[in-house]
Amino acid sequence: MVPPTLSSLVLAGALLASALAFVVMRARLGRPLPAPFAEPRGSAAAGERWALTAAFLPWNKESARHHLPSYAAGLLLHAAVAAMLVRLVWSLTGRPSPRPVELALAMLLAAGLACGLALFAKRALDPALRALSVPEDYAASLFVGAALAAGLAACLDARAIPAFQWIGAALALYAPLGKLRHMVFLVTSRRFWGRYFGRRGVKPAPRIPGEARHG
Amino acid sequence: MADLPDGARRALAALEDRLDERTAAYLNACVRCGLCADSCHVFLATGDPETIPARKAERVARLYRRYHTLLGRIVPRFVGAEEVSDEALEALATAAFGRCTGCGRCALHCSVGLDPAAILRFARLVAQAAGKVPKGIQANIDLARATGNNMGITREDVIETVSWLEEDLRDTTGDASVQLPVDRAGARVYYVLNPRELKFFPLSISAAGMIFHAAGESWTLSSTDFDLTNYGMFAADEAAAREFAGRIVRRAEELGVEELVVAECGHGYRALRWEAPEWLGRRLPFRVTSFVELMARYLADGRLPLDPSRNAERVTLHDPCNLVRHGGVIEEQRIVLRAAVADFVEMTPNRLDNYCCGGGGGLLAASEHAAARLEAGRPKADQIRATGARIVAAPCHNCIDQLGEVNRHYKLGVEVRTIAEIVADALRLRDPG
Repeated sequence: MVPPTLSSLVLAGALLASALAFVVMRARLGRPLPAPFAEPRGSAAAGERWALTAAFLPWNKESARHHLPSYAAGLLLHAAVAAMLVRLVWSLTGRPSPRPVELALAMLLAAGLACGLALFAKRALDPALRALSVPEDYAASLFVGAALAAGLAACLDARAIPAFQWIGAALALYAPLGKLRHMVFLVTSRRFWGRYFGRRGVKPAPRIPGEARHG
Repeated sequence: MADLPDGARRALAALEDRLDERTAAYLNACVRCGLCADSCHVFLATGDPETIPARKAERVARLYRRYHTLLGRIVPRFVGAEEVSDEALEALATAAFGRCTGCGRCALHCSVGLDPAAILRFARLVAQAAGKVPKGIQANIDLARATGNNMGITREDVIETVSWLEEDLRDTTGDASVQLPVDRAGARVYYVLNPRELKFFPLSISAAGMIFHAAGESWTLSSTDFDLTNYGMFAADEAAAREFAGRIVRRAEELGVEELVVAECGHGYRALRWEAPEWLGRRLPFRVTSFVELMARYLADGRLPLDPSRNAERVTLHDPCNLVRHGGVIEEQRIVLRAAVADFVEMTPNRLDNYCCGGGGGLLAASEHAAARLEAGRPKADQIRATGARIVAAPCHNCIDQLGEVNRHYKLGVEVRTIAEIVADALRLRDPG
């Protein structure tokens, strides 16, 4: 049993506080939607499943099809963030992970960091996107970038783990407060979206009269 | 808050009390990536960053953040939060009523998976609470409240117009048994109209009459409570929306029909098929169908004898947003047109990806946004031109009005018609003898 360090205790507390904050926010999100009365045309459950799976594929979204580099960069960034969070939680065990895993993780985090910086630059340089942005958009990107960089350092050198944990703790506490909360509300949002369009027979595939439902 | 003017105070109350969990989830999920921009016909037409769906949604998201998030209260500028003020509400109303038709195309293509159109519907609700509904939309609500329909048509006018149409139809078809029944209790179908049909497009009523006749349907019109339009829905004025939908539901119950059939109108279909049960808080005791769906059913049952060679010119199809993206009626209109015309060609893109005509969401009634509305019709004009079609079929009277203006403005040289009119022209009516 490895004795816990101060940074790992703080990280564990921050992750718990963050999770609790998200639970409270979800519970107090807004007026609950009543059960619908209109006769369904399609399946709300099928729409929800589609929204959480196939809807992510680039050929199902014009926004992805038309902006493949941004889509790919976003995907890679978010994969790296997910991996970074897994590594962060693993760091609480105090046990090192196998070297090949650390190296693979380091490559993913480096790629994610590069993509994050590219998207940051795009936000800063594209006039339309700049007009749409608020200061926190840049700050949140930099914050995530710092966490990815710390994670990358921790994968390459165990001495960086305390710094990774301190930054991770700060990120966990910040997440429910700003735009990073989309990491949780993306799922909630997609579920509502899928139920709406699924029930109306719009997604995953429209009903064709005289044919069995498909998709 | 005590210093706020009345409108702003009501807007703030709406922001606090009327926000549902779905819209709140959307507000919390948007990352302002901007990838929704080219899903929006208004942005495609103007290139103005203010018309990016996420930017329009930001008008209400900023107010939400100010009052619903910790950082919005502490460091509003940092998170782009904004106090409720008359200026903020004006900008919000312009974005929600003048630069968004609620077509939902951005919702289907949002990379995060949220619905900016739903956020802008909530923005309309906030603007409505502040008394910032465009005058034309509000006037239609007021007239419908006072007279029962948005054009102030009297019961006597309905009976007279329908009687004239019936006579004309009998002359045209040479069939004395053709009827346009009014107020017939016990009919199977209650057919509800857009008042504009009675005033300006009576031939679409005649066309429906011919189709019902050919199909041997038991149906009726009503001299009261026939107005399928719902400007309350456009204004996000739920009390008005409930009142208008409730009238039709009550009338359908009085007539004892099995099916309420909505004439070709996108928002009317959405209001009665999808929203009315929610506004009224109950299941409806009859089926609600678009006339397009009913025609497809008649065809499948072999009840509509059509000769497509009678419609020899090239026809393309406009997909009304409320019928297709918000209604799920996607293939029926195609089935009907393929059976009724010799040369049918799709627009690109089509179905769920078809562009809004630019006049949806009540924008046609908002004269202060007329120039923006015509400008927003450019992607649709380009789509129509690319098909080389002579006729544009549009199963929505609202779209027909806008497409008529787009046709003139962009010199397309097309004719815009309802699907029923096209089908009626292809009908091979039985020999009355």
